[in-house]
Order: sequence, then C-alpha cells, then structure tokens
Amino acid sequence: MTVTSTRADRSTTPSSAGPLADLLESAGLTGRGGAAFSTATKLRSALAHDADVIVNACDGEVGAAKDAWVVEHHLDELRRGAELLGRRVTVAAHRGTPTARRITAAGLALLEVPHRYVSSEESSLVSLAHGGLARPLTKSVPISLGSKDARGRRMRPTLVLNAETVWRVAQIEALGPDWFRSQGTLDEPGPRLVAVSGAVARPGVVQTSAGVSFGDLVAAAGGFSGRPTAFGIGGLGGGWLTAAEARGATWSGGDLAAYGLRVGPGIVSVLDDTRCPLAHVARTLTYAAGESAGQCGPCMFGVPAVAEDMGRLAAGTADRATLQRLRGRIGLLPGRGACRFPDGVAGYAASALRAFAPEVAAHLAGRCDVEGRGRRVR
Amino acid sequence: MSADRSPAGSRVGRGVPTTTTRPIVVDRVACTGRGICASILTEQVSLDEWGYPVVRTPQVDPELGEIAVRLCPARALSLGVPS
Repeated sequence: MTVTSTRADRSTTPSSAGPLADLLESAGLTGRGGAAFSTATKLRSALAHDADVIVNACDGEVGAAKDAWVVEHHLDELRRGAELLGRRVTVAAHRGTPTARRITAAGLALLEVPHRYVSSEESSLVSLAHGGLARPLTKSVPISLGSKDARGRRMRPTLVLNAETVWRVAQIEALGPDWFRSQGTLDEPGPRLVAVSGAVARPGVVQTSAGVSFGDLVAAAGGFSGRPTAFGIGGLGGGWLTAAEARGATWSGGDLAAYGLRVGPGIVSVLDDTRCPLAHVARTLTYAAGESAGQCGPCMFGVPAVAEDMGRLAAGTADRATLQRLRGRIGLLPGRGACRFPDGVAGYAASALRAFAPEVAAHLAGRCDVEGRGRRVR
Repeated sequence: MSADRSPAGSRVGRGVPTTTTRPIVVDRVACTGRGICASILTEQVSLDEWGYPVVRTPQVDPELGEIAVRLCPARALSLGVPS
C-alpha cells in the first residue's frame, strides 16, 4: 500500500495540477465542512491560480466540535496538510478560543474570526483575510479564483478548506488512497469525525466513517443519557430524524437523502423526551435570527419571521393560518442571500415540521405532549 | 417561451434580430427592497412581504431587463449571458 504504486495507475489528469490532486482524487476526498465538494477539483483550481490557503477551524455550525479536536490532537499533521496545499497558509479560528491559542502557540498564522455563525462562511473568511469584515460577499466569480471584496476590489484567489479536510490530506499523502478507501462506503469513502452531543453520556468527537449505525455512534459517545426522541443531523444547515427513523437508518448520504439530509459537517445531537422538540427548534431558530449578518433583506427579515412563527407554534398560540404563513416564509428563504445561510435555515425548519408533524398537530390543538405532559399549553 | 431560447445564440452571429432572453441577477447585499424591478418585470419578479424581490422566472426580455437594471436605485440588478 505504498503511495507511489497507487499513483502510477493514474494518468488521466494533467500533471500541471499537481500529483497531490491526483492522489486526493484517487482517495475520493471531499470537503468535511459540509458541502462535500471534491477536494481534488478545488485544489487543481487553487494551484492553477497560486491561491492562498485558509484552513477553517472555526467549528461554525451549531453543535460542531471536530475542528477544535483536530487542532488539539493532530496539529502537526494539520500543518503538514496545509503546507502541501499552498505556500501561504492561515488557520482561521474564533477569537479567544483554546483552538485559536493552540494555533498561535504552534507558530501558525492565525486568522481571528468574530463569533457569528456566518463569519466562518468561505467568502467571509476571505474578506476578513483581506482586511474587510467577516461577512459573506456577493460572489461574481468563485472565491477560489479570486472574487471581489465589498468595495469591488479584487481579492487573491483563496483555497478555503475545513480543518478535518486538511488533516485528511496529510493522512492520504502519508498512508495512500487505498488506506483511505478501506473505510466508509463506496460513495462516501474515508474516515470521518462526528461530534455527538445532547442526550448522550459522553458528548464529544467520534472517529468513524459513513455507514455507521446511529446506535454505534451513540454507543461511542457513552450511550443515551435519556430516552431519545429525535436526532439532529448537521446543525442549522441540516435537520431532523425521529428516533424511530434513526433506528432504521445509517449515518450515510444514501440513507439520509431519504429525509433531505446529508452527513454534512459531521454533527449528531440527540434530543430526549424531557424536551419539546418544537420548543427546541424555535430556540435554535431564534439563535439563528441573531446570527444573520444583516446584509440581505430576505435573510434579515425572513429568518426572524420564521423563528417567530415557530415560537408561536411551540407556545401553542399558532393556528392553521400561522402554519401556512410559516411554510410560505420558509419557501421564500432559499436562493435569496449572498450566502447559503437562509437556505440552511429553511431546510432546518422544513425538516423539523416534517419530523415533528405529530407534535405540530398537537400544538395546533393547544397541547404539548412532552414538556406539558399532555396539558394544554394555552 | 422555450422556443425563443436555444436557437437565438446562432442567429446573433448572422446579424438577424434576436428574440433571446437574459437572466436577471439580484445582488442581495446591494438590494434595498425598493421594488422597481417588480414594477417593470411584472411577469417574472414579485415582492415578498418586506418588499424584497422574488425572481419567479430569471429569464427576462432583454429590453425590459436593461430598463430595470438602469432604474434600480441600489444598482443591485444585472443581466447574465443570453440563453
């Protein structure tokens, strides 16, 4: 399983793009930040444009923890991976976090990112690295090719990769694509990190791969700490599975696609029967409303409006007209922002309405079967 | 609608007047929700409850599209390549 023997089989890609890209393509490495885009394709474009490299270690998604884990446990390999990808490397982390301190202590260039959900979006990081605000930009051309900043000035082409992705690059370079492909599934090869949180005994980062059962994921996090009712998948950019659905599914793109979900950034959070799922979703959406950069009208007004409707639903003060308005507002969020934050929020809210349809019906009837134990909530 | 799309590109080269459409693109950061676009591109653009454009059909008549682009007070509109 040497690296060279695997390399020798591949002759289809231009050598100017660099042998590393060929290696990553053989391995089938995709971005671990959630978008699951081919790392080889991104790297070829970056190499062709002599791009700067930003390693995203922000754990920007709700429930994310794996970037911090990679920095804490595999910083040398992270550095090695980053140096393989380009000559000018910066590691992005939230200001004042242990992760930021570890990066600085290791002598790596740190990009200090303010605490806001959309601050760690790709174009936000590139804007920040160019002296601008950490806010998503309208993309005239892809960020990897050098887009323009908020004032219309050209920025350097920049390759932004998630910290786990960069760690995997170093591993693939050292251990080879065959080692990588020996784990996971045909469609989603390679080892993956999953942050498991919520109603589990030992919340934390689990080393696993796509195709793992939810039962095994939870077991690796010490087992359930309560009676599970639902599984949150992928944070605010993801959605929900009921506990019954999770029993019949694996954590894989194939199984999750049936529910409109993906393995995404590797986040699983368990909800137990002491908490009303709709109240939990409403609180999360209220948090989301405060995380918008406030740049795009549909997001600035639409996300708080969705949060408010969900709050009414959870409080038992919503009627059928409120629910209809909520569905309409959710439907108008996607594709109408500079970044995909409103798209993610829309998917999250719609997924909650789907998975918690019985709870929605109960609340419309003025009843909460969980937190209210069947009592009327209005 | 679909009939006036695909052949247009080839006709442009021969100097024949084109009936092609162009996609309207909204810069969401620049947009301030004044709603001029919806009053010009009545068939393709509507406004949400806060006055921000909802592009129902991106493909617009190029002449009307140019007018909308010119009149947008936030300079938030542009036209993409013909299709």
